[in-house]
Amino acid sequence: MMQKYMRELSIAFVLALLLLALAVFAPNFFAIHPLLSRLTAQSPALVAAIGMTLVIVCRQIDISIGSQFGMCAVVAGVLAAKGMSLPVVLLASAGAGAVMGATNGALVAWLRLPSIVVTLATMVTWAEALRLWQQGRLLDLPAHVKWLSLGQTAGQTTLVVFTVVLVLFAAWAMRNLAAGRHVFAVGNDAEAARLAGIDPQWVTFGVFVLMGVLMGIAAVMNIAQSPQVQPTCGDGLELKVIAACVVGGVAVSGGRGGLLGVFLGFLLLANVNPALTHFHAQAYWEKAIQGLVILLAVVADGVCSKLPNKAGDSKAK
Amino acid sequence: MNDKNCPPNSRQRVAGVLRRMLSRQESVVFVVLIFEILLFSAIGRNFLAPDNVRNIVRHSVEIGLLALVMTPIILTGGIDLSVGSMMGLCAVAFGMLWGEAHFAPWLAACAAVAIGTAGGAINAGLITRLGLPPLIVTLGTFSLFRGLAEALTGGSKSFTDFPDSFLSLGNSLAFGVPVQAWVLVVVSLFVWGLVHRTTAGRAFRAIGFAPEGARYAGIPVGKRIAFAYTLAGAVAGLAAVIFVSRVGEARANAGTGYELAAITAVVLGGTSIFGGTGSVYGTLLGVASVAVLSNGLSRILSISDISRELSGMLTGALLLVALAGGALTKALAERPHRSKPADPVNSESAGRKEK
Repeated sequence: MMQKYMRELSIAFVLALLLLALAVFAPNFFAIHPLLSRLTAQSPALVAAIGMTLVIVCRQIDISIGSQFGMCAVVAGVLAAKGMSLPVVLLASAGAGAVMGATNGALVAWLRLPSIVVTLATMVTWAEALRLWQQGRLLDLPAHVKWLSLGQTAGQTTLVVFTVVLVLFAAWAMRNLAAGRHVFAVGNDAEAARLAGIDPQWVTFGVFVLMGVLMGIAAVMNIAQSPQVQPTCGDGLELKVIAACVVGGVAVSGGRGGLLGVFLGFLLLANVNPALTHFHAQAYWEKAIQGLVILLAVVADGVCSKLPNKAGDSKAK
Repeated sequence: MNDKNCPPNSRQRVAGVLRRMLSRQESVVFVVLIFEILLFSAIGRNFLAPDNVRNIVRHSVEIGLLALVMTPIILTGGIDLSVGSMMGLCAVAFGMLWGEAHFAPWLAACAAVAIGTAGGAINAGLITRLGLPPLIVTLGTFSLFRGLAEALTGGSKSFTDFPDSFLSLGNSLAFGVPVQAWVLVVVSLFVWGLVHRTTAGRAFRAIGFAPEGARYAGIPVGKRIAFAYTLAGAVAGLAAVIFVSRVGEARANAGTGYELAAITAVVLGGTSIFGGTGSVYGTLLGVASVAVLSNGLSRILSISDISRELSGMLTGALLLVALAGGALTKALAERPHRSKPADPVNSESAGRKEK
């Protein structure tokens, strides 16, 4: 039991240390309103992390999600500005995400192209198409989108509760639904999964489409928090989310990982930057620290996977 | 019997050679490149004017350098996403050493190349020593190097006012050709020799085909892979220096997105993204066709302000088309094998080819 949750426990420990340090040195970090605002601001990325966990467990990767996020946000913003109601906007945004996810998924699943190259190409294609379309303009949003027209506190609470429920549901579904287990099976060994009666290509395709749909939802959650849509709002999102997954113990070689670890890893990373600013360090270091954290996590994985292979064979079988 | 069969045989042989040549992606890219040049010189204004040709060359040298050193990496079945960020870090380091530490430009340039080499060695060490996937390692350093560049410049600072002698590297001519083109020629010859004329080049392909098999064949797999990534870092440093001398400014965002352009050129040029097959001249053709396409389009549409977005979008779309096209032709080429025995003429020629 302890062995199985080693990763989760160690992240939880580091997270607790960080929060404890913040509680001692910067008590106003936990003031309720700023805390709620920060949680709300992070919730779209957490929704993205759910999709990314599935994608990586399926032994793929999607680095186009930042561009998808920006594109969905602008699509939602344009429709909202035309006076469409919120459900229509959400549907359109999720649809746009699904189309972009399906593009990735089709190329990866049926043409068997490496997902990193496919999504690198779609990342640039969507981002530049968006720039060409919007020319860096900021879109003003109508009032009915703001906080889902619930008022600030209620809107924030709704978004956070929705995210937590979604994470819990996804964590349960990944463990208990057949579809969730199929993703693990394909990520572990696509050929074995095929022989067991699973269609790996449809599973891969589905995972990418789901990723796109989640980005559509996340984009609406994002525009609900701000008065304007920034076309660049998704820049760097993919790194943040991949970092959370890798730190959270999702193996990039596929077939292993859980949302609990990702959730903890996400909280840890999300608190690094506020902690930096609270301790009066420069915010410019964020990207460098993210890269360093990704590297540290994979190095730890690499070292750990080498050690137990020698010592832990008796334990495993 | 043999004499009678000789003429069709040779004709078949010619046809076979032609078919093989056409099925190579290098020749497809070559044809596309010629087509692009003909098209743009017919409908674009002053497309073939010497100034514009020099302009195309100037703008493609840095991406060309990155694409050249990306070729051995992709041949081994790896990938390096960090070269663009490495350019940013080296450019900032170069600017700081020149502007704040008052190094001579050539010394600062050497230091930039050294930093690039060190960065490449970090990638190489993590990939070969710890056996980590290149994709995730270079994704991490992609973020790390760019983040360091941003942190060093505080996000906004940039270095300018370089001496004219240094700026002439990026903006003047030597023997009628932009100076930096000669750097590209030298590096091309080096990488061509490395990939096509040495055992190390064979080793790259062997590793790309089957890393385990290469190891059993006595190839020092780790050393070869490490060399490819370290070389990429060093050349990224060189590309950063050329970038700074062309633009006249050292900023943290130097080389943003260049890794994609380099990978696109390599894949367009016929190097398999799964490793094992490819060529350096294919990569150079890929670089040229991307450069000509984006320059030609911006000339036709006579838009300069959005050409960057357009060329970025085209690079991405082109890469997707090249990948999909490659995968589809491979799938189609495998299919007729099954139906061949049904067709007597084809089966005969197929039988001959096998002998």
